[in-house]
Amino acid sequence: MYMLSVSCYYHDSSAALLKDGVIVAAAEEERFTRKKHDTSFPINAAKYCLESQNITINEIDYMGFYEKPLLKFERMLSQHLQMFPFSLKTFLSSMPSWINEKLRVLRAIRKKLKYKGDVLFIEHHLAHAASTFLVSPFEKAAILTVDGVGEWTTTTYGLGEGNKINLMKEIKFPHSLGLLYSTITAYLGFSVNNSEYKVMGLAPYGDMNRKTNSYYKKLRRVIDIKEDGSYRFDLSYFKFHYADRMPSKKMCVLLGGPIVKRDSEMTMKHKNIAASLQLVTEEILFKILHHLHKVTNCDNLVMAGGVALNSVANGKILRNTPFKKIWIQPNASDGGTSIGTTSYIYNSVLGHKRNYALKDAYLGPSFSTKEIKTFLVKNKIKYSEFKSESDMIKKVAKLIYDNHVVGWFMKGMEWGPRALGARSILANPCNPKAKELLNSKVKHREKFRPFAPVVCDDDALTYFDCDNPVPEPTDFMLMVYPVWKKWHKVIPSVTHVDGSGRLQTIRRHQNKAYYDLIKEFGKLSGTPILINTSFNIRGEPIVCTPFDAYKCMMGTGIDCIVMDKFMIWRKDNPQDIWDSEQYAKD
Amino acid sequence: MRFFKGFKEGMTCFGDLIAIIVNTVLLFIAYFIGVGITSIVAKIVGKNFLEMKTSAKVKTYWSDLNIKKRSLEECYRQF
Repeated sequence: MYMLSVSCYYHDSSAALLKDGVIVAAAEEERFTRKKHDTSFPINAAKYCLESQNITINEIDYMGFYEKPLLKFERMLSQHLQMFPFSLKTFLSSMPSWINEKLRVLRAIRKKLKYKGDVLFIEHHLAHAASTFLVSPFEKAAILTVDGVGEWTTTTYGLGEGNKINLMKEIKFPHSLGLLYSTITAYLGFSVNNSEYKVMGLAPYGDMNRKTNSYYKKLRRVIDIKEDGSYRFDLSYFKFHYADRMPSKKMCVLLGGPIVKRDSEMTMKHKNIAASLQLVTEEILFKILHHLHKVTNCDNLVMAGGVALNSVANGKILRNTPFKKIWIQPNASDGGTSIGTTSYIYNSVLGHKRNYALKDAYLGPSFSTKEIKTFLVKNKIKYSEFKSESDMIKKVAKLIYDNHVVGWFMKGMEWGPRALGARSILANPCNPKAKELLNSKVKHREKFRPFAPVVCDDDALTYFDCDNPVPEPTDFMLMVYPVWKKWHKVIPSVTHVDGSGRLQTIRRHQNKAYYDLIKEFGKLSGTPILINTSFNIRGEPIVCTPFDAYKCMMGTGIDCIVMDKFMIWRKDNPQDIWDSEQYAKD
Repeated sequence: MRFFKGFKEGMTCFGDLIAIIVNTVLLFIAYFIGVGITSIVAKIVGKNFLEMKTSAKVKTYWSDLNIKKRSLEECYRQF
């Protein structure tokens, strides 16, 4: 039985294909259209899913959609009714897209995919809950979903058992932890639904002490938090429920100035605001989790929704709550709902037993040796071929050790926003100048943002103060942990200002070449850790195809790409007209 | 040939412009008559469409959701 699900028209459109209970393919549309956070119908992602299994749309038994469009429309109309006449501008700007596409999802699915079968719709937060519980390793787990907003819901909790999900309670729009994070992100001059992780990265530069951070006290005035973690906003500080601007003037007065202009230098004040937001977020999350544990009496926790990508908070959960095990899927945000929809329909609606747990994130397009060679030959790209995998591992480890910046293109593209060793840029973390090197050559990122380390799972506890055993979400770069102090100066490029690192752990069965490369680098440097950053430049999605990877290298300062068994040097090939600076957006 | 191509493009732009103007006018009318009148009536009778206020009296803001199992029939619905 094949089932295909799609999510689209908000942010991070995606498609996922399930075969007899197993997720066999999943990808986000942005990787194909090269438009970051693409919201359009995921026609390319859906086509990839079908092609990956050599099937046509006629072989799909059911299709799923990740939300109930009419419920969402009801919420939007309610906003206009409540906020009349202040919502005129958003009414005029949003209504055409509702009329033309958002209310015509069924038509779009039938027309764009030429699909004639049944289409099923499930609630947005149910899709989130299913996206994490039904593919988790747990038979029973407490579930928490927190994001911006679905139809009406912004936060839910419940319990998953076997193939059943019981979502018990909810918090409704306009009270939303995700939208609070986005509001402050907007206030600090970053883009909403894109740069929230930057604010999280900025927070450690500020005062992370509740008692001394004055902005924490100010931000607490905005939210009423109950003992069970439920919360509501004083909406006079917000405008997102009726305008296209998120913070209100009152919020600007509270935070002591107007909205920060884009690309402004971050001052101590901004850093303290970011810190206060992180403190409030953690406070709410931990209170909810204490309550959830009490209600469910279950030691396993699964989380989803955009807020579940807050890796700083995630890394503190097991130490600050009664939960003993945690699992978060790699694409916890809206993009991940397509696997939730398809799993929920198969397991919970149709009643099939669960027979799958997501072990790695390599669900996207992969390219065979033959396909890559054809691409290289056809485009007259100069390349060399490794004699064997061990030859490749040794040579690439030496290159990284000698401070080269290496593009690493292997296996299927990652599912989710993080590069996890399939579309990665690798560099030497022991080089104190690696951060500057990467920023000047490739990434053009804000100076305050750290780079992430990747370490083999059996070495993680040596270098990081992780929970023991190391939780599986670290495989997806979803947990931040302190780097042990004695290593701070050894791996300065991946140690953040507060001494933490957003590590990725890799298990050999997930990606053998990547694992062996890290171990080989460890033999040379004495430290089996690499810098792993996404294979893209700022403002572009992570590369998908060999062409994208080659283009990215030629337009930046990446020294070489290792693509399957081939090595392509930038210096050996005519440099193209692409200048990465022109692509470097927020 | 170039002339016809340019003419076609010009007409398309003109059509789009007309569509934007007509859409905006219609949406204006829908907003002030449909949304506006309903909103005013709702305000008079004290109906709130969003939960806007905090309360020191209540112990929790969690509300019941109780989604236990969705049947196949329920999943066909877009609401």
